[in-house]
Amino acid sequence: MTSIGTGYDLANSIFSPDGRNFQVEYAVKAVENGGTSVGIRCKDGVVLAVEKVVTSKLLKPGANKRIATVDKHLGVVYSGMVPDGHHFADRARDEARAWRETFKTPISTSDLASRMGGYLQAYTLYQSVRPFGITAIIGGFDSELESPVDGEVGSGPSIGAGGKVQGSHGGPGLYMIEPSGMYWGYYGAATGKGRQAAKAELEKLNLSEGKLDLKQAVKEAARIIYVAQQDNKDKEFELEMSWISNADGPTKGRHVEVPKELLEEAERLAKKAISEDDEEEEGEEEDDKMEE
Amino acid sequence: MDHRPQAWGRPRDDVYGAYDASYMQTNQPNQHTQSPIVTGTSVLGMKFKDGVVIAADNLASYGSLARFTDVKRLRTFAESSVVGFGGDVSDMQYLDRHLTELAIDEAYTSTTTTPNAQPTLNARNLHKYLSKLLYHRRSKFDPLWNSLLVAGLDEAGAPFLAAADLLGTTFTSPSLATGFGSMLAQPIMRGLVPDEASVAQVTREQAINCVRECMKVLFYRDARSLDSYSLAVVTKDGVELSENEKLENQSWAFADRIKGYGTQTV
Amino acid sequence: MAMFSQNPVLNGPNYSFAEVPQHAVDGLREHRFNPYTDNGGSTLAIAGADFAIIAGDTRLTAGYSINTRYAPKVFKIGGSTSSQDDANILLSVVGFAADGEALKERLDAVCKMYRYRHGKPMSVSACAKRLSTILYQKRFFPYYVHAILGGLDEDGTGAVYSYDPVGSYEREQCRAGGAAASLIMPFLDNQVNFKNQYIPGSGVGHELQERERVPLPRNEVEVLVKDAFDSAVERHIEVGDGLQMMIITKDGIEERLLPLKKD
Repeated sequence: MTSIGTGYDLANSIFSPDGRNFQVEYAVKAVENGGTSVGIRCKDGVVLAVEKVVTSKLLKPGANKRIATVDKHLGVVYSGMVPDGHHFADRARDEARAWRETFKTPISTSDLASRMGGYLQAYTLYQSVRPFGITAIIGGFDSELESPVDGEVGSGPSIGAGGKVQGSHGGPGLYMIEPSGMYWGYYGAATGKGRQAAKAELEKLNLSEGKLDLKQAVKEAARIIYVAQQDNKDKEFELEMSWISNADGPTKGRHVEVPKELLEEAERLAKKAISEDDEEEEGEEEDDKMEE
Repeated sequence: MDHRPQAWGRPRDDVYGAYDASYMQTNQPNQHTQSPIVTGTSVLGMKFKDGVVIAADNLASYGSLARFTDVKRLRTFAESSVVGFGGDVSDMQYLDRHLTELAIDEAYTSTTTTPNAQPTLNARNLHKYLSKLLYHRRSKFDPLWNSLLVAGLDEAGAPFLAAADLLGTTFTSPSLATGFGSMLAQPIMRGLVPDEASVAQVTREQAINCVRECMKVLFYRDARSLDSYSLAVVTKDGVELSENEKLENQSWAFADRIKGYGTQTV
Repeated sequence: MAMFSQNPVLNGPNYSFAEVPQHAVDGLREHRFNPYTDNGGSTLAIAGADFAIIAGDTRLTAGYSINTRYAPKVFKIGGSTSSQDDANILLSVVGFAADGEALKERLDAVCKMYRYRHGKPMSVSACAKRLSTILYQKRFFPYYVHAILGGLDEDGTGAVYSYDPVGSYEREQCRAGGAAASLIMPFLDNQVNFKNQYIPGSGVGHELQERERVPLPRNEVEVLVKDAFDSAVERHIEVGDGLQMMIITKDGIEERLLPLKKD
């Protein structure tokens, strides 16, 4: 950070001579200190997971949820400044509601990502504001079914075009939005403190092959959060997870919390997996010693 | 010739007379619904020991014209309650959108969002909400022209069935029917469930069969009814909604004995 | 007012057949939304020396149809919770059921607010005045109900207050309201207020001495109420199904449900 003190980092809307907006870069720093968030898009749905750092023993376990429901089929999770995340979720809900009001149909995951990307980008333009100190992951499942308009009562013409587009639409969607407003669609997304380790684990899953199913993804997400948490073991944390399947799947197209039993099972497996890793590492160390 | 920009694109005053701009005025009174336009007929509901059966046909009439024949008048709420709408279809659509929004808002704060968990708004809450909305609108002289039944479970998990109408009148009973059904179907249903105590003796099959029979009676006698209907069963396991039921085993044998209508004189 | 008419269905004026309009009115005819309806039913309240009874049938009608056989018309008001366990006031409403419900909810909210602010329940007389104000505030779009309020006054004596739809009110010994009011009230005049009862042999014409008025004991009043409703059921089609009786004494509120004829 050689540019600190040059004056170009004091506000939005001023570029540094080498073309950087330092406020945005500092916002990214805020994200990098937050609890790890992970999203996995698999063949039949999306899983969101977050490492919720327990900042006080006085907090009620399971309260203060970090994953927010935006619409029936949409959820968001974020790393970074929690109040900024709350505002992000509120805005996303407003966008989803406004979309329904206008188009009488649910907003698609990609459209919500686009709207929110635009919203965050606007916070990089003005003197009077600062960028969001979060990176958010949006997960959703756009229905593949012939989706009726909200309030629609009939099924429309049974023959002829009837305005219907042939072919399949919809499916799972996963997007990550950074403080700059930049967003991409992902097979697997990770942000926050443990993102490097998490991304490495996500890459190993070969998600683009579309072989992983939702239940496996839940277990992988739990494991990845535990793996990513390895580097600061001393911090207590809670694992919070939600998922979204299609209408035939376990969540019936809705964004809901992962059921308690499955969550506990996933956590058990995650703990087992990392303890096995530790043993292997210890074993390797011993081998090294023996060689010496 | 008037060349002022204000006159562009307007009929020429010298040819057509002074322009009548009255349609642009917005100071005329707001129009409220004074009568329903496209309407749905009866909704039937009946409690049984584990839940509630609710049914309505799939017709939306335009006066006496059978205008839309695949209109679904049973709407599920939060996958745990069903609202059956009679009366104006556009007001029904408004209410449906409103309830969709309400269900989404509920999902924001709901602590247990897992499927099958009890929603924060049960059928009793939903009915109270809708009846207050209906009463509020009637008090503004801008009514929502519906009579509706709410079926589901109450906070204790017991079957819940209640009615509300455009005036905000509310009531509950082991069996309920709106519109023509209150005259034709309700007496039949009361035969099976005369009081709350008898609900515990009625099985799901008995209730469904009774409601199906009532739908048949209504199709025989209600000129604004249809033989295609929707039927939903609400229990603690959720809502089973079937929207393409057909009336079966109809018997029109009685028809040729009916005399004295229309041009028929003998 | 049509509500008090003896015509159960038409809900309109009770004109004689001679007065029926023979011709349609010329010019525009406007159909307006009617925000009122009559849901039938009847109520009755009697005050005793140390109790008050408010009763109502449980039938709710729409024209000739019975909407439900069980829709209570008598409510406990002003308890600290929705269970109304510690309520000290009774309210009955009859007429347009939706307005009745709205009025009950409003008065209950007012009484609850009073309890929270002052740390004590509202007195019956204060509540009675407040109810009058609520009704009068909607003078030009009235709650279409005949309300009766009951409780015990500061001396522990039974109190009954009755209201017209726009808030005119009076404390009375007894009052019947609703569809069968005109059937029950004369019976009450005679049996509770001893109207037209004279001491035998006390004289002739104006010399006759009226029977002395004394408050009736509770058991007699309960029988009186049941008899009044049994009679009303016989003669009025909008009354029947069930009789709900709420009895308030210094020990609290007791509720009794008795069957009435369902025809």
